[in-house]
Amino acid sequence: MDSQPTKLATSIVHQATRRHFFSQCGVGLGAISLANLLSEPNSNAADLDETTDPLQPKPPHFAPRAKRVIFLFMAGGPSQLEMFDYKPKLQEYNGQPIPASMIEGKRFAFMDSSHRIDLLGGRQAFAQHGQCGAWVSDLLPYTAKVVDQLTILKTCQTDLFNHAPAKLFMNTGTGQFGRPCLGSWVTYGLGSESNDLPGFVVLQSGPRGPRGGAVNWSSGALPTTYQGVPLRNQGDPILNLSNPSGITAQQQRDLVDRVSQLNLKRLVETGDQEITTRINAYEMAYRMQTSAPELMDTTAESAETLAMYGIQDPKETTYARNCLLARRLVERGVRFIQLYHTNWDHHGGPTENLEKHLPEICRDIDQASAALVLDLKQRGLLDDTLVIWGGEFGRTPMGEVRESTGRNHHIEAFTMWMAGAGLKPGFTFGETDELGFGPTGEKAHVRDIHATILHLLGLDHQKLSIRFQGLDLRLTGVEPARVLHELLV
Amino acid sequence: MGSRWLGPYLLATAISWAAVWFVVPSQGRSDELDFDRQIRPILANHCYACHGFDAHSRQADLRLDTRDGALTSGSGEAIVPGNPNSSQLIQRIFHDDPGAIMPPPEFGKPLTPEQKQLLQRWIETGAVYAEHWAFQPLNTKTTGRSEPAPAATPSEIIDHWIAVGHDRGALREGSGALRDPTKVRGANHDSTNVRGANHGTAMVRGANRDTALDSGANHDLAFSPLAPPETLLRRLSLDLIGLPPTLAEQDAFLLQYKVDPQATYAATVERLLASPHYGERWGRWWLDQARYADSNGYSVDSPRQIWLYRDWVVAALNNDQPFTEFTIEQIAGDLLPNATESQKIATGFHRNTPHNEEGGIDVEQFRIENVVDRVATTGTVWLGLTIGCAQCHDHKFDPISQTEFYQLFAFFNQQDEPKLKVNHSNPSTAATTETPTETTTLVLQERTQRRPTHVLIKGDFTRKDAEVSPGTPAVLPPLTARGVIPDRLDLARWLVSPDNPLTARVMVNRVWQVYFGRGLVESDNDFGLQGTSPSHPELLDALAAQWIEQGWSLKQLHRWIVMSRTYQQSSNISEALREIDPDNRWLARQQRIRLEAELVRDAALVASGSLTATLGGAPVYPPLPDGAMSLGQVNRPWKASAGPDRFRRSLYTFTYRAVPPPFLNVFDAPDGVQTCTRRLRSNTPLQALTLMNDAGFFELAQNLATQIEAEGMVAAFRRCTSRHPSDEELAVLAGLTSLDAARVLLNLDETISRE
Repeated sequence: MDSQPTKLATSIVHQATRRHFFSQCGVGLGAISLANLLSEPNSNAADLDETTDPLQPKPPHFAPRAKRVIFLFMAGGPSQLEMFDYKPKLQEYNGQPIPASMIEGKRFAFMDSSHRIDLLGGRQAFAQHGQCGAWVSDLLPYTAKVVDQLTILKTCQTDLFNHAPAKLFMNTGTGQFGRPCLGSWVTYGLGSESNDLPGFVVLQSGPRGPRGGAVNWSSGALPTTYQGVPLRNQGDPILNLSNPSGITAQQQRDLVDRVSQLNLKRLVETGDQEITTRINAYEMAYRMQTSAPELMDTTAESAETLAMYGIQDPKETTYARNCLLARRLVERGVRFIQLYHTNWDHHGGPTENLEKHLPEICRDIDQASAALVLDLKQRGLLDDTLVIWGGEFGRTPMGEVRESTGRNHHIEAFTMWMAGAGLKPGFTFGETDELGFGPTGEKAHVRDIHATILHLLGLDHQKLSIRFQGLDLRLTGVEPARVLHELLV
Repeated sequence: MGSRWLGPYLLATAISWAAVWFVVPSQGRSDELDFDRQIRPILANHCYACHGFDAHSRQADLRLDTRDGALTSGSGEAIVPGNPNSSQLIQRIFHDDPGAIMPPPEFGKPLTPEQKQLLQRWIETGAVYAEHWAFQPLNTKTTGRSEPAPAATPSEIIDHWIAVGHDRGALREGSGALRDPTKVRGANHDSTNVRGANHGTAMVRGANRDTALDSGANHDLAFSPLAPPETLLRRLSLDLIGLPPTLAEQDAFLLQYKVDPQATYAATVERLLASPHYGERWGRWWLDQARYADSNGYSVDSPRQIWLYRDWVVAALNNDQPFTEFTIEQIAGDLLPNATESQKIATGFHRNTPHNEEGGIDVEQFRIENVVDRVATTGTVWLGLTIGCAQCHDHKFDPISQTEFYQLFAFFNQQDEPKLKVNHSNPSTAATTETPTETTTLVLQERTQRRPTHVLIKGDFTRKDAEVSPGTPAVLPPLTARGVIPDRLDLARWLVSPDNPLTARVMVNRVWQVYFGRGLVESDNDFGLQGTSPSHPELLDALAAQWIEQGWSLKQLHRWIVMSRTYQQSSNISEALREIDPDNRWLARQQRIRLEAELVRDAALVASGSLTATLGGAPVYPPLPDGAMSLGQVNRPWKASAGPDRFRRSLYTFTYRAVPPPFLNVFDAPDGVQTCTRRLRSNTPLQALTLMNDAGFFELAQNLATQIEAEGMVAAFRRCTSRHPSDEELAVLAGLTSLDAARVLLNLDETISRE
């Protein structure tokens, strides 16, 4: 083929020679990244890099308050009435039917069932805590100690009341499939600051995976570059992270080097810059093989730190360990970290009731969530890290009485909290009526929450869009969404 | 530099090309406005949301989507043709006051100065609207301009319009480069024009040509040279059957190609189109659109059995069933007189909707959601329209009202959703060893009792508005019903009626985009007002018209495309081409494309000599990494198939919607939760980890290592890339063990690409 190499390719080949030199001299490219090589002076390659690395850090629309996000997703719908939303009146009306005017035109899951829907008084003792005097129940003693660091939203609202669609709604702003989730939007908008870990990481704990599975961290209409990468606590932390059995580290390094050499030759021949992306991807994959196990290895963490999170056995897959990993991910420049903890679906059945199982799951998450906030603060990371805690919806003031007691799915008002990122600490947004059914004033719809999260990251939710099926697709969609400026310092 | 290496080919072929067309004049005056391309997109993106078709969200009672509306609605002075200064539209877009400027700042879509000037010029020159191109009948009339020769074959027609496009593209990109100084950086300063005389001169007459030359940029566009024979064979083979050529096929092709290139190429096209693997490769293309998967989706995501539908698709394509029948059987096979079992199986198309088994749901809600999905999918797949947008309100941009959405809904609101028992002695599907003799598949079946259909307020199934009867959107040609109330069969026939201006265009475009990585209409799933205009409008219509005329044969369409010069070009990207047309919109080269997810593995199966080529049957379970199936709500068991089923084509891999097979998912396979008409192509470290470390791929590397030991390195290189290695390339592989070399080869970018 009579093709003439481009200037760019020539320079890369020139570097490939250097690269060969490095690998032959035992200075593998693990030590000197290809990106460094490519961006050397006179290489003409810097512009290539910026067009071919979709995860390269990008400037936000305006000065951000947060650089990264940890979203603690309580899958199943935690009962705000047992944890944060103190309603003495509900106690008083325990067992009485809910006023018809309140539920007129509203829909709930399981409404066709014969379960009773009378009001159910809160089950827990509440007290005020901290300087701010926020009410927190006795299920969350550790969270109670950090309320002065938290911004509590008591009037969160969503549109959908079945688990899988509602999770999709909380993650993607719509119950429809195929839309990018929050973490994908953020890594799409800002890129990643990590060179050896994915930009968007998902961690899971609890008895089962979240309903809907991978659609919750799907990049939807965005390339899969932006989809969440689940880190697993057992086996390889990332699928296919380990070398195949019998393959040594040297063999693997050699594989990456030779593949890249041949790929470079093909780049020269074809001029297809996508090959550069491929070469970068192999380098990153190779680095991930080292960095991901290093990330997961928490033996270097002090006993005090482990104790603060309440980690008994660092090898055990727990929410607490995932919180610690979230901090380690933050330290390594990962942009968006999402933890899922199941199962918060306390309807009142034998394995999901308010008496026994809610206190258990609160113990799972209470100490570690609080510790994460404190740990980030101690390390100076809380200022530019946004921590979010909450589920896909909350639970009704009406009880469900099955074998034991529980509550139904509730979308009119539920509690989430946030911390860090220039939010007002010790601040509570919104109040519910005396029965805890709906907001009495300001509310925080999921769209408002999304707009606010993007705003904290320096992104304008109206500008962050892609063209999809004839629409300018945005996380916040076409319905009104507002940045909750009241939350900001 | 770019011109120099294009030169020899062009000089050699200029003469043969001259025979194909008459003359290529320059494309209009550069100051002539093109409403479809220049004005409508501005109005659609910045104005229609509040001043468009949707009467409910219309502000100030003003609509700008029709000329009549713009001249008479609202104050009646929004647009005064010929008089921009009296036009309120102009006053408002240039306004200084943030409270008065349009679009309003909070809309977040301000107009650029260039856009404002365009609108001003457009009103100055009379504010002429054109009816949206996609709703007009196919335009096959000769206009006397740039026509292909009357006897031109469809492939020659393709090449003709692509060549015309080169000239138009050169003009456009040329002026674009001037506006954007970064584009000129590093441009080639060699301005010698060595193009063939037949159409090179058109450029020079273009208004921007002189300035483009002055800037020092060479903005020529012309066909790239023919790709080398090895590339051609690999390209054809991967495109038509989704498998790379075997060594024997490579040897035979190369030998014969030396003797008679054209006959050899044509014979290979015929061989591949006749191969049963053609149906597998293009079947997957269709299954994407059908949102096919083997489980129910949502949270519980139980397995379902509907693979007989998948086999039906493969067989229908292999038999080259006309697209009209292919459509009718899938939309309404059960309503055909004396419907056969096969025709009933075909209705599985619309049973591929997810099914929510979660506790506490309202069953009616999710039944309605499925019907909504069926309407939206039908609209996207056949009509290329975002009809689903009209579920909750009138379409904001396209002339589709919410009532019309529910009229379409009414067609799909009349079915039960049974399982069909099928005795698998049916010879239309080839059974594998693991396939049971009796099985079931999901089908549609018309109800005896009609369900009334209502408009649902804001799409909420609890809020019923007026009752509607089945019907099709008024903007499209009317539907002919067999009885009093039209049914799905009438709808199916309407979809593929020759009068329908959309279906043939949409399908031709969707096939085209597989071959070139981009459609002639880039927004392949939106031919509406917000979609992109066709880059080659005459070609799109000529192909669609030919396709209808020649019986809607997909194999014919494939043949036309792959026999064209356009298709057979080299995909190499010279610096000049990257400068002028980085996105390859004007097709002065072929497109180098990463293989689709299934083909990444299928190519490795063939290269390593591992493929079990059996067609059809129950889904199979290739090895997956430990724990891969535990990410959803339910931990799904996955016992890897042993024996031949381990190495079946990836099309047959069992696919859970909630936990799709990782080796497919990382390479952008769709998850089957909604229709996918065009796959994304990402390029990520997880792909590298998969190819390097995945147990399934490692197994294939071990098999390839055995081949290396038996046949040597050159053969193995050819198995993976379909070409001979250079000495330099062999040197890189030297000194490696067979296994290490095999891993390198299977990880090459080229091995997972089609060039």
